[in-house]
This record gives sequence, structure tokens and C-alpha cells, in this order.
Amino acid sequence: MWQNHREIKVVILFFILIPILSGCWDSKEIEKRANVLAIGIDKASEEERKMEEDVSHLGKKFPIPDEEMIKVTAQIAVPGRIPLGPQQPGGAVKPVLVVKVIGHTFQDAMLNLQQELADEVFLGHLRIIVISEEIARKGTSRFNDLLRRNPEIRRTASLVVSKETASKYMDLTPELERIPSLYLADIVDNLTAIGKFPPSFIGLFWTIYSSKGQDTYLPYLALKGKKTIQLNGLAYFHGDKMVGKTSPLEIGVFMAVRGIGRGGYGAFVEVPGEDESVLVRAVSRKTRTKVKLKNGIPHVSIRIQYESEIDEKESAKILLSDSDMLKKIEKESSKNTKKSIEKLIAKTQKLNSDIFGFGEHFRAKLPQYWNKNVKTKEKWSEIYKTITFDVKVDSHIHRVGMKSK
Amino acid sequence: MSLFRTKKRSIKKPQLLTPSKLGEEKGSTPTSSSLIETEKAVKEILGVNGDLQIKHFKVFGQFSAASVYLSSLVNQDVINQDILKPLMYEPEHLMGREKTLNNLINLIITETLYHSQAKTDANIDELIGGLLLGETVIIIDGVKEAIHIDTRKVEKRAIAQPETEQVILGPREGFIENISTNISLLRYRLPTPDFQVKTLKIGRLTKSTVAICYLKGIANETVIKEVEKRLSEIDIDAILDVGYLEQFIEDNPFSPFPQTQSTERPDKTVANLIEGRVAILVDGSPFSLVVPVVFNQFYQTTEDYSSRFLMGSFVRLARMLALVFSLIFPSLYVSLISFNPELLPTEFAVAVAGGRAGVPYPAVIEVLIIEVSMEILREATVRLPKQVGGALSIVGVLVIGQAAVEAGLASPITVVVIALTTIGSFATPTYTAAFALRMLRFPIMILSGIFGLYGIMVGVIFIFNHMLSLKSFGVPYMAPVSPENYQGMKDVIIRSPLWWMPKRPGFLQPSNQNRLSKNANKILEHNKVGNDQREDTTNGGSKGDHNTSSNDNLN
Amino acid sequence: MGDPKEITTLQATTILISTIIGVGVLPLPLFAVRAGETSAPFVTLTGILLAAIGLMILTYLGMRHPKKTIITYSQDIIGKWLGKLFSIFVIFFFVILTSLAAREFGAVVVTAVLRETPLEVTVIVMLLLASISCRNNINVFSYIHNFYVPMILAPVLIVVAFSLKNANSLYLRPIFSGNDIRDMAAGMLTISALFQGSFIITMIIPSMKSPKKALKASFWGILVSGGLYLLIVIATVAIFGPEEIKQIFWPTLELARTTAIPGNILQRLDIIFLAVWVLAVFTTLFSSYYFSIHSIKELLGLKDHKMLSYFILPFVFFLAMLPQNILHMYEIIQYIGRAGLLITIMYPAFLLIIDFLRSWRKKKNVAKSS
Repeated sequence: MWQNHREIKVVILFFILIPILSGCWDSKEIEKRANVLAIGIDKASEEERKMEEDVSHLGKKFPIPDEEMIKVTAQIAVPGRIPLGPQQPGGAVKPVLVVKVIGHTFQDAMLNLQQELADEVFLGHLRIIVISEEIARKGTSRFNDLLRRNPEIRRTASLVVSKETASKYMDLTPELERIPSLYLADIVDNLTAIGKFPPSFIGLFWTIYSSKGQDTYLPYLALKGKKTIQLNGLAYFHGDKMVGKTSPLEIGVFMAVRGIGRGGYGAFVEVPGEDESVLVRAVSRKTRTKVKLKNGIPHVSIRIQYESEIDEKESAKILLSDSDMLKKIEKESSKNTKKSIEKLIAKTQKLNSDIFGFGEHFRAKLPQYWNKNVKTKEKWSEIYKTITFDVKVDSHIHRVGMKSK
Repeated sequence: MSLFRTKKRSIKKPQLLTPSKLGEEKGSTPTSSSLIETEKAVKEILGVNGDLQIKHFKVFGQFSAASVYLSSLVNQDVINQDILKPLMYEPEHLMGREKTLNNLINLIITETLYHSQAKTDANIDELIGGLLLGETVIIIDGVKEAIHIDTRKVEKRAIAQPETEQVILGPREGFIENISTNISLLRYRLPTPDFQVKTLKIGRLTKSTVAICYLKGIANETVIKEVEKRLSEIDIDAILDVGYLEQFIEDNPFSPFPQTQSTERPDKTVANLIEGRVAILVDGSPFSLVVPVVFNQFYQTTEDYSSRFLMGSFVRLARMLALVFSLIFPSLYVSLISFNPELLPTEFAVAVAGGRAGVPYPAVIEVLIIEVSMEILREATVRLPKQVGGALSIVGVLVIGQAAVEAGLASPITVVVIALTTIGSFATPTYTAAFALRMLRFPIMILSGIFGLYGIMVGVIFIFNHMLSLKSFGVPYMAPVSPENYQGMKDVIIRSPLWWMPKRPGFLQPSNQNRLSKNANKILEHNKVGNDQREDTTNGGSKGDHNTSSNDNLN
Repeated sequence: MGDPKEITTLQATTILISTIIGVGVLPLPLFAVRAGETSAPFVTLTGILLAAIGLMILTYLGMRHPKKTIITYSQDIIGKWLGKLFSIFVIFFFVILTSLAAREFGAVVVTAVLRETPLEVTVIVMLLLASISCRNNINVFSYIHNFYVPMILAPVLIVVAFSLKNANSLYLRPIFSGNDIRDMAAGMLTISALFQGSFIITMIIPSMKSPKKALKASFWGILVSGGLYLLIVIATVAIFGPEEIKQIFWPTLELARTTAIPGNILQRLDIIFLAVWVLAVFTTLFSSYYFSIHSIKELLGLKDHKMLSYFILPFVFFLAMLPQNILHMYEIIQYIGRAGLLITIMYPAFLLIIDFLRSWRKKKNVAKSS
């Protein structure tokens, strides 16, 4: 009896295995994939536009998307250029290949890119996407659709806005890292880790973009010289369009309002009574945001507690030896911070960009108001312009370093 | 079901090989009272053998007799000193007493021979059988019965360290081929009447002695019965090693996993007996077969128990990791390289791609080629003479690996992966279990070549399901993990301190579960007391008591 | 069957847990959010409670007939032919459930990991895995479930634990969002339909060592699996917010995709998660497949279920291939799931009521005659 069973089992397995053995459908060796490490998106210039080949559509027969053509610059790792193990001296060859293609949409451009490469384009190692400011101001949602549909894309990849054309960043050869795009990606990741920027990755961007009561923000990079990149501020959006940018220090202010604990920014605070100032650096913050309706108008009150540290004083004239002096500095620092917060909020209000997510607070805490008056993201943007707010900042300087004076 | 199977198979086998054609003809004819006739009958059967010795002499100077033996099997000294001398040179206490043919046998056995193992028999068949086992037979003219005296002497090697199961801490003895030595090694560790050894003979030609050893009152009676039943149903011409038995008594012969444990170590055997298992020994094999087994036994060693529990647990964890390594590491590599390179850190992925740039084959083929050559290399090292083997393995690994990388046949990472896998498979203490995983590695590798990680998972589920459905003598193979058994679980991943495990593993359903006496569980308490000794010396005395009592129970 | 009654209470619990937790976990937050926006956790909770009530009814019914499954005792309660008719419905429903689960997971794998592999292959591999394992007896069935439960729970808990650093509690508020009650009720039904695998308890009770403890097993089974479901919904909503979840097919998978393990050992958790999730899907499929063939065996009065396991394979495979595409598949799944509640909750409740009435009448008759 059991022998019969066994034979049947073997026969069935055999028949099933035949089609499977012809398979290995998804098997694609790592060196046969064109590992795209970074992508830069720019607006295509006039001359470039003419170079377009008919890859994904035939001439004018098919409806061509209305939007402007884009230029995609991809940085692709060249297998063999980056050796295993410690770097041998004399590796002057560039380890990456930079390819520029144009297209009507992102996917169109990617198809054009595939047309130029022997290996299959693989986006699993895409670590950073740079969008030039020009394109960002026109809207980013046209890229996101592909990025969201494609399972290869990491949700933890970075998305940044660049001041210059994005292709410049692709050609960059920083010396701190063997692979240029990794350096670029590390800038965003590491600056987040040391408190220079709020957490920012593409998944978070999408999440905020979909939520009704908040607008998105992205890091804003600028080139300094030939080889260094600077975090130049925070690009803020209205809907999917970039509407403005902050100064670097305002990133710290923004983080304070958002209630991101880790502080990394320092600012000069003028010591009252003296003409000199000291550098006060935020160590940690604690933020409480309360929302209510004042006469039917939404009102936000923000309480921020700062833990700071004095990093440097400008001249020997200031004596930091007594706590009264620290009290004064604390007060001054609170005042300054409060001022800049108010300024930043007013700035974003003007541009309809609620990057602080006050809308989410209203939606969560005052659902009746929200359901009755707001409901949609567009409506909230309108209302955001009119909301009132009050800010209270409380700084504490607990540390002055190893110097007693 | 398997019982049924073994039975059927043995019946199917045509009885081509009669155990002894010569003996069969004579059948069980009784010995004649005439010396000449008996001698003739013996010579007819064994006459061609040069080592058959028949010496005629006169018992007490009166009765003509002959001693018959096979000179290759006996101890000549014993025959000369303890048998022939007292028979030929009439002892003093017998002088003057009446000796007739009737009381002669009784006189010889009870008052003359200086030998403890003597018996009478009146059957040619038995006589021949006895001769072949090394007995000396005294035939006396006019007496029907012959006297069989055990004078067997077989060369055996000395007790040595077990080759396949080395330990750092623990006893150094291993079994040898001789079964009585092996039983003596067990008896030496278990001086208790509960330790029982049942013997039976299996094999029509070899007539091998098979011993079933167990601890009465601890081992489950049904398991003992089952073992006896399965063994008694074996009908084969030869049992040359305990492995022959294994193949007849295991539950699922088609499974890659061993369902019995064979060990060279008497201490391990004893430990298993104490847990309530049954050990099977065969004359001529330096291994004992322990049943029933569960899977976790195969990565445990006696050393785990003889070393301190932290150390034992750590080593065991490492071993489990090695087990997992040896099963799925190459397939994991294949699926990372060919299917999901996004799982690797970018820096590493780019570098690996560089390393593989010149390799012409897909990762599956590459890994398969190297794995197969590794298997060949391993087999070759086992077969080669010791002096050459050591050299070859080093040469093989270093030179071939290096050359393969340089020739572009394999990427350096592949070599690292295969090397780790091979080392991992050596870390499994039981050869048979390691072998099972080594074999199963290949189908998983092929699956991973087709489906990537999904394939590995499917393969692993297949394997686990198979293991979960296995049973060894009624005990589920994956016990005590599933079906769960709290007592047994303490000894699966870590090796809990002995005093945490006061009971024998319940999944073996031992008749007696208790290992530790109740007060032995106070070890931790009296440790605390011991620290307070300076303040309260009266407790010091009780500490010693506890220690001795617990020791008694642990051994 | 003649198998010894060896299933312990713990094993029964683990069978329930691993059966319930299956491929349904992947789209679960989407179903919950579609129904209730920020009150998704509440909707989930009501769904769980509904499922728990159904399970309790079933368990209680099983304990009144501790030697029989629903296939056999239904014939005692409502008569042979009616019982057989309903049993055919039950079996058919579980065959469909098996095929849909296989199809759903096949679709996930084909979309997220093995993009070139034909859907048929991934589906048939899962079905084969289940059908070959179904050849074992019910004790091995329980061992298999028991063994895999920790491996099913662990990845979810790990992903949830590591992802919580991105959580935003605002997304969970307000707890009662004031959505349309009908939407919420539909969502509740969809979610409690994800617990339909718990029907397996009716097959387990006759093989339990102590059927009296079945209620305890179901309670813990639903508590652990329901707790896990709730945890997943809370975590995904807190991390993505309701609006984002509406745009994702499998928010649970996306959760794994967003999560990074400290130290970047594994860059993409979703792929690992999906690989380990094969286990959870396997146990679910295994249960419903086993239930189907076991019930067919009992219905037809066969001695052995082993050959059946291959026999219904082509049928299940055919059913799995019916949905046209992933959207169509989810429409069918939601529809079948809700309709199935008639079978998994209403039918046992109906049986229980009749059973009560019968025993009450019997008692009365006995009282009268004496």
C-alpha cells in the first residue's frame, strides 16, 4: 500500500518539477544588475529635449503627458571598480557610471535609461533621490507614483531638494566615501542622527503628504565649492509643490516646534548688558502643543522646554561664573527662540504650508470642528493662514562645559 | 507500520542461504555413545578445517575419551591446565572412589574440572555449534552426553578513546568490538540490579549476540517490548555491525534523519539508559544503538553535562547555530546574490558584485559545483591513509579554493560561504545527523535557485514538517519542543543546571520520573547559607549533607 | 481514525493561533482603516469580539458533543439529510477559503518579491506544501502548529517593536471618528471574517485529551491572535496615518519595509518578513485544507484521508486561479468572507439553539414519563 503511495507521490512531484525546473524566473545575478545608487531629477533643457528617442511611445501618435520633460541622471555602480576588502592605492578610476536620460515622466525616463544599459536596471539599492528646486517647485507627485508602486524602492531612501541642478550632485566626487552617492545618502542620515535635521526619508514624506493636516518638508542641499555639500535649509511644500525654504538655523526652530527631542543647533545669544554674545546649543527639547478654538478661530499654543549648553563665549569680558548670569542668558535665549519661532510660523502661514502638522492636532483633538469645517487638506491650507498661536519658550542652561568661567 | 514492513520484507526474501548446509544434513541427530562414531560425525562436518584438533586420552586412566576443539578459537593454556591435567592426572580426593560410566559425567563436572563454564549436551548440532563458538568438547566413549567447556579466546583490541566522539571534559573510554567487554563497561558504571541485559542471537550465519540493555523501573516497558519485538522479527544471514540492526528497526527508513542514535561512548550510553532509553549492543560492533531518540539529542554531547551549565549552554547555542549554518547558509547566499541583493548593505553589495564580475555561472551553479567538490574532498580525506589525508585536506582547501578564485570559477565570497558551511557541518556532534543536514542542503540550494528566500522557506517547512511527523519507537521526533514538554524543554536550547531538571524527560514516558531527591533542590539555598557561615556556623554541617545527597542522585 | 487522543490544551491553543494568523494580516489595516479611519483599532476590536462570540458558540457546541465534529453532530441535531446538506456548504466554503488564501499569498509574493515568477507556480507550491503535509494524522497536525507558533509571532512583534520609534499618536485620534455606521459594520464583518480559520476547533475537540478545556483553549487562542491583530492595526495606523494606509495594499508589509533594525544588519525587513510569513500562510492553508479533507472523509464515511489530499488539489488550484486580478481578488475575498460568517457563526448558533431545545424537550419528556 505504502509503496503505491510513494510511486504516485514521485510521479506527481516529477510532473510538477518539470515546469519548475525550467524556471529561475527571478534569478538575476547581482553583477548582472545595474545597481542604481542615486538618481537626480532635473528639468530637461531645450537641446536635451530634442534628443529624445521613441522608446515608450511612438512619435506623436500616443497622447504625450502634458508636463514638462525631465532629465534623469542616474549613478550606477560599476562592478569591479570597487574592490572587496581594503582599498588598494592608486584607484583613480571612478567607481560609478553616470548616465543621463530624458523623458516625459519618470518611468519614461527609466525606460530610456534601460535602453542604454546592457544590464537590468535595479533600484533596490537606490539610496537617495535628488530633485532640483526648479522641478520641486513644479510638483513632486509625478515621481512618487512610480516610486510607490515599485517594490524594489526602499521606503527608507532619502529624498532631497537641491539648489543647483541635480545632475551636478551625481557627478560629484566626495573624498570621504568610496562611493559618491553613499556619501550623499549618509549626509542626510547622519545629520538626522546628530540632530541637525528632523527624520526625513521617502516613506515619511509620503506619509505626511497623505495626511490631511500636515504639509511635507525635505532637506535642502546646496553645493559649497567643488566637493562639499551643505545642508542649506529645509524646503517646505504646499501640497506636492515646494513653496519655500528656511535658513539652516530655522531647521532647529522647526524641530523645536515639531517636538523632536534631539537638539543639534546652537545660536549666538547676546548677553544682556554686554555687547558680547555666547553660543548656546540646544541639547534636548520638550514640546507640548495644545489646540483650542478661540471664538471659532483655531488657536495653537506651544510650550517648549529647552535644555541647552554653552559651547563658547565670544570674549573674555563675559564672566560665566555666577548663576545669575546664566539666568539672564536663559531668558534672552528664550526670547530669541520665541521670536524666531513666531517668524517661521508666520512665514509658512503666508505660503499655506503647515509643515508643523497643527492640522493633525486639530483633526485628532477637535474632531467635531474638523469634520464640520475642514475635512479636506485643501480646506485646511486655507484655514491655516488664519490660525492664531502663542508660543512660550523656557530655556535651561545646565552645562557650561569644563571651563569654570 | 514499520514492524509490518520489516516482517514482510524478511518473509519475501527467499531462503537461499541456509545457515549451515553441512549441519543441516545431520540435523539434530543425538550424539552416539560410541566415541568413534561421534568423532566420525564431527570430522564429516568439520574435517577439512586444519584447526580442528581431536586429541585422544584416557580419563582418570580408565575411560577413553577425546577432546575436540578448534585451535584458532581457544585458549590452549586453559585446556592444558584446567581440563586435560585434572582429567588425566586423577585428583587425590577421587582416589579410591568408585567411578562408573554412569556417574562419570557428574564427577567430572562437579569435582574434577577447574572451570566454571561447563555443561553437558547430547546433540551433534549443538556440539558443532559449540565448537564454532570456541568451546572445547570432551567426548567420552560410552557416554551419550558430551561435556562442553567454554574455552573461547578471541583477540580483541584494548579500550581506546572513542574516535568519532571526542570530548575535552569527560571520560576517555570507548566501546570495542567485543560485546562482553562492552557490557562490562556499562555494568561498571551501573552497579545496580535494575540494569538488565537481555541477549538474543540474530543472523543465520553470523549468529551475532545482540544485547538489549535497559534500566528496569526507569525505561518504559512498552518501548522495551517493542524493541524486543522488532529485533526478534529480523531474519537475515549476517549482522556485521549495529548499523544493520538500525536499518531494520527504525520507523521510517526513507527519512534522511537518523531515528536511532549510535554512540561509541559508554558514558553516553549510560546517560541515555538513565533517562529511560534502551541500548542495543551487537557483538562485533563498537557502537551501541540508543532508542528512542529525539532530534535535540543529536546536537548534545556528554560534555554539555559534565561542564558547568553556563559553559554547556553557550557551547550548545554555538552548535545549534552551526546546525542552521550547515543547512541553509549556501542557499541563503544564493538567494541574496541572485534574488534579493537589496538585503545586503549597499557598500557590500557593490563590492560583492565586483567579486563576482568574472564568474561565468549563476550563483546556484557556482555554489553547487564547489559544494560537490567539497563533498568529494571530504570523502577522499576519510578514505586516504592518515599520513596522506592531513596533507590533502589542507592542500585541497587552500590550493583549490585559491586557484578556483583566481581562475574566475568562483568568487571569493562563495569560497568563504562554503568553508563556513563545511565547518558548521563538522560542529554537529552526531555524524549521522550532520550527514542528514548535509544531504538536505542540496535540495534547498536548488529551491533557493528557483525561488530565492521563498524557496528556502518552502524547503525548510518541508523538512520541519517531515521531522515533526517522524516518530522513533512511539516518541515524536521533535519532542520536547512539539509536542511540548516543560521538563524536557529545559534541556533543548540551553543546558539548564542539573538541579533545575529534577525529572527525567517526560516525552520518553519513563516509569519513574524523579531524578533528584527533593532536598537536592536546595542547592542554591545552602549556597546562601554557606556564605553566611561566619555568622551562623550551625548551618555549615547541613551543607555537607545536601551535597552528598545530591551527588548520589546525580550519578 | 483510531489515533490516540493526545492533543493538549496548549496544542489546541496554538493550533487556533497559527490558523487564525495568516495572510489576512497583510491587508488587515487597510480593511480596518477603510471602515473606520482613525477608529480602525475600535473596528478591529469589535471584529475580534464578534469572532470570539462565534468561536465560543462553536466551542460550546463541540463540548456538548465531545466525540464528534460538526459534520457528524449536525446530523444528530438537525437530521441526517439537512445536516449533510449544510456540511457540504461548510466543506465547500473551506475549500474556497483555502484557495483564496493561497491565491492571496501568491499575489503578494508575485507583486512584492518574485516579480517574474508566474502566479500559478507560487500558488501551486503553497498548495503542494499543504497537501503533502495533510497526509499526516491529527496529532502530527497539532505538533506542526505547535512548533511554528513562536516563529509566526516573532517577526510581527519584532517589526512592531522596531517601528514604533516612528509612531505618531495623533494618527490614532480621535478614537471614534464618527464614520458611517454601515461602513464600520461592514469593516467589522470583514475583520471577523479573517478569524474564520478558528472553525478548526470543531475538528480538534474530538481529539483533545480533555475536551472540557476546549473553552480555555479558544479563549487564549482568540486572545493572542486577536491581540496581535489589534497590535498590528494600532502600529500601522500610528505610523502611517489613515490616509496613507488607504493607498497601500498591504500596510503590514509596508510597515516592515519602513522599519530598519539598528545597525543596518538587514536593509530590507519586508523581504525577510515575507519569507518568514510563508510559515504563517502555510499553517493557515494547512488548517483549512486539513479541515476540508477531514470533513469530506467524515461526510462520506471514508477510512483514510490521505488520498483525498491529492484528489482535491486540482480543484483548489482551479478555484484559486479564478479571480482575474488583485483588485478582483480582494473584492471576492471580502464578499466571501462576510458571506462565510453565515456559515461560521450563524450556522453553529442555529445548531446550538436547536440542540438546546432538543435537550430541553427531552428533559421535559423524561420528567413527564416519570
